[in-house]
Amino acid sequence: MSMVKLVDVRKSFGDNEVLKGINLEIESGEVVCIIGASGSGKSTMLRCLNHLERITDGEVYIQGELTDKREKNKDLMKIDPVKVQALCAELGMVFQNFNLFPHLTVIQNITVAPTIVKKVDKAVIEKTALDLLEMVGLSDKKDEYPSRLSGGQQQRVAIARALAMEPMIMMFDEPTSALDPELVGEVLATMRKLAEEGMTMIIVTHEIGFAREVADRVIFMDEGVICEQGTPEEVLLNPKEERTKIFLNKIL
Amino acid sequence: MLNEIQLQAILAGTIVTLQIAIVAIIFGAIFGVIIALGRISKNKVANSLSWFYIWFFRGTPLLLQLFIIYYAIPIIYLDSTGMTFTIDPMLCAYVAFSLNAAAYLAEIIRAAIESIDGGQMEAAKALGMSYRQAMTKIIIPQTFKRLVAPMGNELILLLKDTSLVSTIALFDLLRTVKTMASATGSWVYYIYAAAIYLFLTTIIQVVFDKTEKKLGVYER
Repeated sequence: MSMVKLVDVRKSFGDNEVLKGINLEIESGEVVCIIGASGSGKSTMLRCLNHLERITDGEVYIQGELTDKREKNKDLMKIDPVKVQALCAELGMVFQNFNLFPHLTVIQNITVAPTIVKKVDKAVIEKTALDLLEMVGLSDKKDEYPSRLSGGQQQRVAIARALAMEPMIMMFDEPTSALDPELVGEVLATMRKLAEEGMTMIIVTHEIGFAREVADRVIFMDEGVICEQGTPEEVLLNPKEERTKIFLNKIL
Repeated sequence: MLNEIQLQAILAGTIVTLQIAIVAIIFGAIFGVIIALGRISKNKVANSLSWFYIWFFRGTPLLLQLFIIYYAIPIIYLDSTGMTFTIDPMLCAYVAFSLNAAAYLAEIIRAAIESIDGGQMEAAKALGMSYRQAMTKIIIPQTFKRLVAPMGNELILLLKDTSLVSTIALFDLLRTVKTMASATGSWVYYIYAAAIYLFLTTIIQVVFDKTEKKLGVYER
């Protein structure tokens, strides 16, 4: 059974069609990197998976369960929103701009959602949070406010925050794009560690080197469609499609 | 100088003034949050009701609203039921000032909520929070610091606007000293009133400044 599945997904913002029929399945334990130029629909596709954007046409499945089915923006299924919310919470998300909660300390950022959404016991979740902070190497920052951390540190807290909800999949939306170059490495190292632990990951990224190293599958998107996909060797080293070659030539 | 009776009258007037302003800011803030949530809601009914509320209470003079509640409601009641009832002027003042403050505070609160970066709501949703959870735990707490300064503004305005209640048989601070001034022919009572208004607004200003700093600890 696939962890997430998109069937013929289309998404328009007004007259602008951003996704033009996407079919995608992600298996358990897979690390998938999505590359492509800005405006190719990479981020939108990710955001459609956890309903930050609602699709216009097509079907979305999470762990085999239908979470959205639409035709011409008409909701065909009217699925119980509580159930959808619970399924979407299985997808942890890390944003380009971190989006930490500035009024909460590092540890509160990590514990707030498990406490109010899953009603996890306070002592239990604090222990989990400390373990996660240790994993991302920020144990000493637990009582700081996010504004006092560097970008790289903030992003590592954001990763810990998403992991605290024990998601089935971690999605990363250009996690290093807003970082100063010298801070990119520490975030990638954390992500690499997650991949080695067998976490299912979908990563939208411009870090081609990183994709080549950790990805099981690389997807190249262009103008709202999946143009080419395969192993990193196939897509990054021996691309078949002309558009993939042009893109890779531009950024390498 | 003031004699004992005058002193007590001025104190009583000050208390009336303070009571109305404080009740209005508290209830105004509570209604204001509800109306602000209506304004940003996608629900058409909630949205237009709150739009209409703000339109009416900001668009008509507070004095008129006070008159409607104090004079018009008993007459309407008399015409429709044939019974008379006396209405407590203090209660009228509480209601009119709270309803009016709510309209202004609703717009302040709405703007504060909308000024919070959209990424905050997205992050909360991605973590599985419902709209209500995200609002109460993530978005609204972040507006507190931004609300302190305009709330202090509103409280100071309310404190001075309470002088309108002299028109519905209440003795607030200003009316009390005005009566003394006309009875004695001495203008010095106005100086006392000015000093008390300034004393009260100074306290508000200092307390709100401190609160704003305290709530901003998480900012760089």
